Amino acid sequence: MGLEIRNLHVRTEDREILRGVNLKVEKGEVHALMGPNGSGKSTLANTIMGNPTYEVTEGQVLFNGEDLTEAAPDERARAGLFLAFQYPATIPGVSVANFLRMAVNAGRDEPIKIKDFGQFMRRNMELLKIDPEFSKRYLNEGFSGGEKKRAEILQLAMLKPQIAVLDETDSGLDIDALRIVSEGVNALQGPDMGTLIITHYTRILGYIRPEFVHIMLEGRIVREGGAELADQLEDKGYDFVREEVEASGAA
Amino acid sequence: MEESRAAALEVYEREPVPTWRRSGFWTTTLRKLRLDELEPRHYPYAGSLDELPEVVAQAVDLDEVGGLIVQRGASSVFSYLDPSLAAQGVVLTSLERAVEEHAEVVEEWYGKRISADEGKFAAATAALWTGGAFVHVPRNLKVEKPLQIVYLIDEPGTAQYARTLGVVGELAECSLREYGLAPDIDGQALHAGAFELFVGSGANVKLAHLQDWGRGEVHDISTKRVEIARDAHCSWVPIHLGGHLTKQTLDIVCAERGSDMRHTGLYFTEGDEHLDLFTTDLHEAGDTTGDTVWKGALTGDSRASYEGLIQIAKGAQNTHTYLQTHSMLLSSKAKADAIPSLIVETDNVSASHGGTVGEIDEEQVFFMMARGIPRAEAVRVLVEGYFEPVVQRLDDESLEALVRERIAEKLVRAEDQVAEYSARR
Repeated sequence: MGLEIRNLHVRTEDREILRGVNLKVEKGEVHALMGPNGSGKSTLANTIMGNPTYEVTEGQVLFNGEDLTEAAPDERARAGLFLAFQYPATIPGVSVANFLRMAVNAGRDEPIKIKDFGQFMRRNMELLKIDPEFSKRYLNEGFSGGEKKRAEILQLAMLKPQIAVLDETDSGLDIDALRIVSEGVNALQGPDMGTLIITHYTRILGYIRPEFVHIMLEGRIVREGGAELADQLEDKGYDFVREEVEASGAA
Repeated sequence: MEESRAAALEVYEREPVPTWRRSGFWTTTLRKLRLDELEPRHYPYAGSLDELPEVVAQAVDLDEVGGLIVQRGASSVFSYLDPSLAAQGVVLTSLERAVEEHAEVVEEWYGKRISADEGKFAAATAALWTGGAFVHVPRNLKVEKPLQIVYLIDEPGTAQYARTLGVVGELAECSLREYGLAPDIDGQALHAGAFELFVGSGANVKLAHLQDWGRGEVHDISTKRVEIARDAHCSWVPIHLGGHLTKQTLDIVCAERGSDMRHTGLYFTEGDEHLDLFTTDLHEAGDTTGDTVWKGALTGDSRASYEGLIQIAKGAQNTHTYLQTHSMLLSSKAKADAIPSLIVETDNVSASHGGTVGEIDEEQVFFMMARGIPRAEAVRVLVEGYFEPVVQRLDDESLEALVRERIAEKLVRAEDQVAEYSARR
């Protein structure tokens, strides 16, 4: 059970970006998806969440055995999928607290009691070292890059998904922010949550150790391995993967 | 007064029914208005708000205001002023009575900024107004509770000629509200109004206009002008939430040095409504400041044209003012025009303007849906968030709540078409 991507082909208006992606992320596992810019990592993340900009031309997105390929994004979220955006949108006029409560209530039959919500939110803000005053600000309006990413992880903490996809959560973060965000994710990680970390750099993997590493090139996963694969990438860069792929004629 | 009415009547009879054109693309026509079938309607005085159509009680809470005057059709039907305010010299009464009882003040200010020869309907108002409203806040007085005026139309076939005159004395502070209310009537009606407010030097006035003529065929052709004297401030928030066809001119005049104004407007049109607004931020003197923000949303087949002019007269140096307007199209057939413009006749000023016409940002919708929030709710939240900064400028808790409620109702009514339009894009 968990997230399964089967032979996924995705295109935008201009061209085909994903050319047959296969990937499985079970609850309790930590996966890293790496690749150079333009390899299709963000497209995959967005397609998992149902972004209408991308068209699935072949293949499936399955979640706990259910085919979600045609499902609307809100259905996917309520089923237990979460995407931490690389560039989160700004929602003017809506405070962080109000937005969090709306999102939490979307996944419940009965609205959460205000008091319970308040406690829950404060606890998670403490965990992520977010100033309580923050909750009154309009979501992402005037936030620094680091603040936006921490707001994403706060939402992750509040929504308790089964599978969390982090799309380049490390980009634009300084060392301290990266450490805090990673500690947050690690605290949430457990047998009930699977994590797919999408990243260009190996830095975050020093803080959140993956069990499985997948490398993407030109719309396909071309190499898979354990954590040591990330170490290899760190040493040799993406070129070594390209060379391997060319050599084996798999391109 | 008699003379001015007679002169105005002449103009009214002479002038043809106008058609207004703008930029070659936009026309406001009264082709379908059957003016001869409309007439003033008279009503008895009401002892309490319960005796009036419920749209009034739904919008006004008597405990909350310092005074209230209601005109229904052509008749002044309700009048209340807190005795302690009356004792301090505050006047809130029908303009008809004010002409008799406060002749001096009325004569000094009536018609100073709105004349009868500004067109057929301005002339009609000047000639034919009855009832009306007069507010006077004496100098140095601070009035906490809002002073409220309501114009009510509740029958088809009504022609309402309205006239409001407000005079706020030097260094006084007060909050004025004028509402135009109607239930959903089945047929045509007309509200032709003239509103003048004079803010005395050093005074501070919050002014709110709420127009909610319901979903019948009420036509509103009005002119509203606010004049701000030396070192005075006025924060004006006009809100348009209903009216079949509206053609309004809204002018704020920073007439003397040190005057400052904030003009923040909101409109939300639906069905086949037609809204035509022309606002002018006029600076007749230097060392003045202004700030104009208009935000609108449109559903259904409605159309709105907003033209916002900044005009800085010769000699009005060191004026600093700004205008922005935004419209959000929520359905495929809605149309909006946003036309900011400038006439600057002096140097050493700063005046900037900008306008946008756009739609819901699908990125924001996707983001919210990705958090489990269904499309219809996401759209509602985004539209409310869009209006929120304007609603807050009302600085009037109960009116803010009323406006938010109406906006939410409009979104519910249009839910299907808004969701469909958003999904299609």
